[in-house]
Amino acid sequence: MRFEPRAPREGINVSREHPLREAGVLVAGLAGVLVLIGIAVTLGMDLAVGLIPPELESRAFGAFAAGESRVEDDTAKGVAAAQRVLDALARHWPDAPYAFRLHLLAEDSPNAAALPGGRVLVTRGLLEAVESENELAFVLGHELGHFHGRHHLRRLGRQAVYGLALAALLGRSGGARPLGSIAAELTSRGFDRGQEREADAFGLRLVGAEYGHAAGSTAFFERLDPPGGPALEGVVAYFSTHPGGRERIAEIERLAAAEGLSTTGAPTEPAPR
Amino acid sequence: MIVTNIETVPGKSIVEFYGLVTGNTVRAKHVGRDIMAGLKNIVGGELRGYTELLNESRQEATNRMVEQARSMGANAIVNVRFATSSVAQGAAELFAYGTAVKVQ
Amino acid sequence: MDTLVSLGLTLLLLAATYFIGTAVERKHQADIERREARNRRIPVTTFETVPDDWKIARSGLVSGSVVVSVDYFKRFLAGLRGIFGGPIRSYEPLLDRARREAVLRMIEAARAKGYDAIVNVRLETSRLASSRQDGKGIAGVEMLAFGTAVRRGR
Repeated sequence: MRFEPRAPREGINVSREHPLREAGVLVAGLAGVLVLIGIAVTLGMDLAVGLIPPELESRAFGAFAAGESRVEDDTAKGVAAAQRVLDALARHWPDAPYAFRLHLLAEDSPNAAALPGGRVLVTRGLLEAVESENELAFVLGHELGHFHGRHHLRRLGRQAVYGLALAALLGRSGGARPLGSIAAELTSRGFDRGQEREADAFGLRLVGAEYGHAAGSTAFFERLDPPGGPALEGVVAYFSTHPGGRERIAEIERLAAAEGLSTTGAPTEPAPR
Repeated sequence: MIVTNIETVPGKSIVEFYGLVTGNTVRAKHVGRDIMAGLKNIVGGELRGYTELLNESRQEATNRMVEQARSMGANAIVNVRFATSSVAQGAAELFAYGTAVKVQ
Repeated sequence: MDTLVSLGLTLLLLAATYFIGTAVERKHQADIERREARNRRIPVTTFETVPDDWKIARSGLVSGSVVVSVDYFKRFLAGLRGIFGGPIRSYEPLLDRARREAVLRMIEAARAKGYDAIVNVRLETSRLASSRQDGKGIAGVEMLAFGTAVRRGR
């Protein structure tokens, strides 16, 4: 047999598709899948909160009780008055699953939190920063809104399921990992913001039911975030856990207008001390 | 195109030979197959998804090799060999190679 | 804010490695085609024995190998493919070049030793194990080509 040097045609073992196009298609596909998972998780959580009674929830979360060690003297004067405001608001939510209790935290920066089981934490800094009862009422109403929306359970469930789904999808593919963490971050931001807005709306409803108007609700935030920019460092603590100033104020005023509540006018009473 | 993995094509003789031809593919499995495989790892049995995947890859690699030979003007490929290896997590490379010849 | 920063950095890295990788690839491809043209006269086959009409003066084993690394953009694409399945097109040109390079090195080694034909060529691929489980660390592919080189007497 004779040897005849010949070469095969170029490009048979490579695909003609441009890598950037392939990247675009795959990233879009992944984004679509993540959106679908997000929707499924939201719907799933709606179903789950219907099935899990609040008592079970508070018992389960009770195991992770935090902040107990930082609770100050609960018999201080300001606490009793604040508890009265809380009770007054809660009366407008007749089928509330808990009796809500206020606890004081010995911290100087103004902040408030809702813990599962009906516990509302406020810092000493918050009690000293509010200048009228209405301001305090709105903050407390917002925290009650978190209980109303079962936000603790939703957030935990959502993080667990979404985290699992992301790990299953991207677990082995080291290359696409940064995309996954970015996607998780963005979706949880979106969910959290939605929850805060729900809590604001509920708080507004309670305040409106108790006082007949919503004046003073935004005054506290306006002070924390004046048009020139936030002045105190203490505000950082508040804003890291709650949505930011101007946008939130505008949203609250919009919600109040929708409910037919006025946000101007004299506040009811000076702050309880 | 005649493809064999012995030295010659039975019943014919090689008149010219041209050189090496290769065909390869790299394929990844999707998460569905991955999860099924994980489950099968517990109960045992054939991983049908993977078998299909690798068969498709082998077919594709062979087709590419044949296309290379055809572009050289050959009408047979002899002494064909296959090789499989893992080039990335969850992906397998399959290639086929042989010598392109003209038989009569 | 830091999400945006990390997203921006990732995109920047992907873009940079895409452009650099493409440039490197093109240069290597041109080099391979040039050397293949130069070495075309050497028969390279997978025949297990030498053709009957050859008179062999001497023979010996020759091999050529190369380790190619995979750039970040290609690995990213491969990761995405791992979710949806299908051909990892980003790796194909890489493996093709690696194999042709290994074969070329084998031929050049044979010529350097004075041989003029190679039979029973075998090709092997292996992956350099990543040093870490999460996929980071060196990611490379080794291609080995070896065969029996012969010198034909007159």
